[in-house]
Amino acid sequence: MRKWKIISPLAALALWQVLASAGVLGRGTPSPVQVVKGLYTLIATGLPPGYHLQGHLIASLGRVFTGFAIAVVIAIPVGVLMGYANVFKAVMDPLVEIVRPVPPLAWLPLAVVWFGIGLGSAAFIIFLGAFFPVVLNTISGVKSVDPHLVEAARTLGARDRTILARVMVPGALPSIFTGLRIGMGIAWMTLIAAELVGVKNGYGLGYMIMAARDFARNDLLVAGIVVIGLVGFLVDWLIRLAERRLLRWR
Amino acid sequence: MNRKRTIVVTAAFLLLALTMGFAATGCGSGAQAKKVVRVGFLRNDLHQLAYYVAREKGFFAEQGLDIREGGTFSAGPEEMSAFSAGDLDVGYVGVAPAITFASQGMADVKVVAQANTNGSSILVRPGLDAQDVAGLRGFTVAIPGISTVQDYLLRTALLKAGVDPADVKEVVVKPPEMLPALSAAQVDAAVVWEPYPSMAAAQGAGRVLINSSRIWPNHPCCMVVADASFIQKNPDTVKRFVAAHVQATKYIQDNPAEAADMAHLFTGQDAAVAKSAMKNIKFSYTPDVKAIARYVDFMKQAGVVKDKNPSAFTKGLVDTEFLPGGGS
Repeated sequence: MRKWKIISPLAALALWQVLASAGVLGRGTPSPVQVVKGLYTLIATGLPPGYHLQGHLIASLGRVFTGFAIAVVIAIPVGVLMGYANVFKAVMDPLVEIVRPVPPLAWLPLAVVWFGIGLGSAAFIIFLGAFFPVVLNTISGVKSVDPHLVEAARTLGARDRTILARVMVPGALPSIFTGLRIGMGIAWMTLIAAELVGVKNGYGLGYMIMAARDFARNDLLVAGIVVIGLVGFLVDWLIRLAERRLLRWR
Repeated sequence: MNRKRTIVVTAAFLLLALTMGFAATGCGSGAQAKKVVRVGFLRNDLHQLAYYVAREKGFFAEQGLDIREGGTFSAGPEEMSAFSAGDLDVGYVGVAPAITFASQGMADVKVVAQANTNGSSILVRPGLDAQDVAGLRGFTVAIPGISTVQDYLLRTALLKAGVDPADVKEVVVKPPEMLPALSAAQVDAAVVWEPYPSMAAAQGAGRVLINSSRIWPNHPCCMVVADASFIQKNPDTVKRFVAAHVQATKYIQDNPAEAADMAHLFTGQDAAVAKSAMKNIKFSYTPDVKAIARYVDFMKQAGVVKDKNPSAFTKGLVDTEFLPGGGS
């Protein structure tokens, strides 16, 4: 079955190359060959010249993991408490539901004032993007734990803390992982836009794409898109790997 | 003989009536006869005030043009992409994105007039006691983009002051974020176009160190560009558009106080900010080919313009035949 998986991407690439060569995709749409050459330019020359792809990648990964890690560390306990204690949920729900629908990028001007340009503001925006999917999925995960299990644990003399750690969290893990995957996806999306305002050290994948746009180099722009797509895919694959390891007991 | 004369006179009267009828319904059903022009411009850009003045004062209408807003953009590259897509006929845009997109073959446009010269400044953050450009040595300066006119202005200013540009750290920050970055001391200085310098002064987010007119007097800034195939098909329409633009530019030159009020209405900027910003901008409609070529040369060195002889490229880009007395 495995070899069937590569048919659709290959066909898409071939079609893209043919259409681009025929010139029907419109002015400035690069062909796959140009994109591969662009990828080489990003690695060898850098964009802006001297700022190589490796540096952009490291800077962006650093921003995403900082924002994402803070989001996860706060979101999972908050989600577990909101799923377990109804009073806590009643208190927190209005705040969560008011802030949640706000697109993270709307905070950008304030983020710059609070955290400066670069790591701080980008991590804050990413935090906002990743936080809510993790909280909501944690809540629903906790809610989905079979009440009989909780009852059984309680009958056996388990305290609240033990029930949380031994019953609730493991039971909620599959749903928490779903939240992590969604949150990481949103984190990547917000990262690119968060870097569009500018970055202090001159590195970042979003910043690189903005430079490609400013220079009217769509070949480099699409090469950047391919890199972001591949890295996003890899990160998601890592989370799924961790999920499989942690949930082996199922 | 008599009958012939009667026919001629009647025909003349009919023709006259017909013409008057069209003129009378000029705003209504007769509008189809007007030439439609899809125009793009940048939001919050005082340099492009002539567009607003020509529209509000009816100069475009006097030329028989039906101006349709093809798009309001927040950045030049986006506006140039709209040219690539064939969504615009004429646009008010910075000279840098116009050159970049033309040289990369991403948009086939010609500069048909100039919107302004000057109109940028180097700002320093509150608390930084640099008194002149030489005082920027060792500090971090925000630029709106690599190889932009502002990037070149900063480098020119530094070289003139005897500072190696390598001794200043340039970071790219988009103009709306420059003022917060300055007031939070994230950057020490910034080089940017109006109205940001005037806004910074009004908000206490920074202080003007030097205006660009003192770095490179009458340096090119915003241009009026037109799609090459649109020019080919509608040379007369382009000529009329340029005529209205010239009239509006002269109107701004002759009525600075009213122009400042209109600048306030156009951009929604505070009236005092608009007034101060207007003093820093010079509105003039004839592009200086040599000055543009000088900037193209810089872009070539930066690697943005490729495989081109800067002055030959510039001559091909600028088309002054639609300006009054042009084409010679």
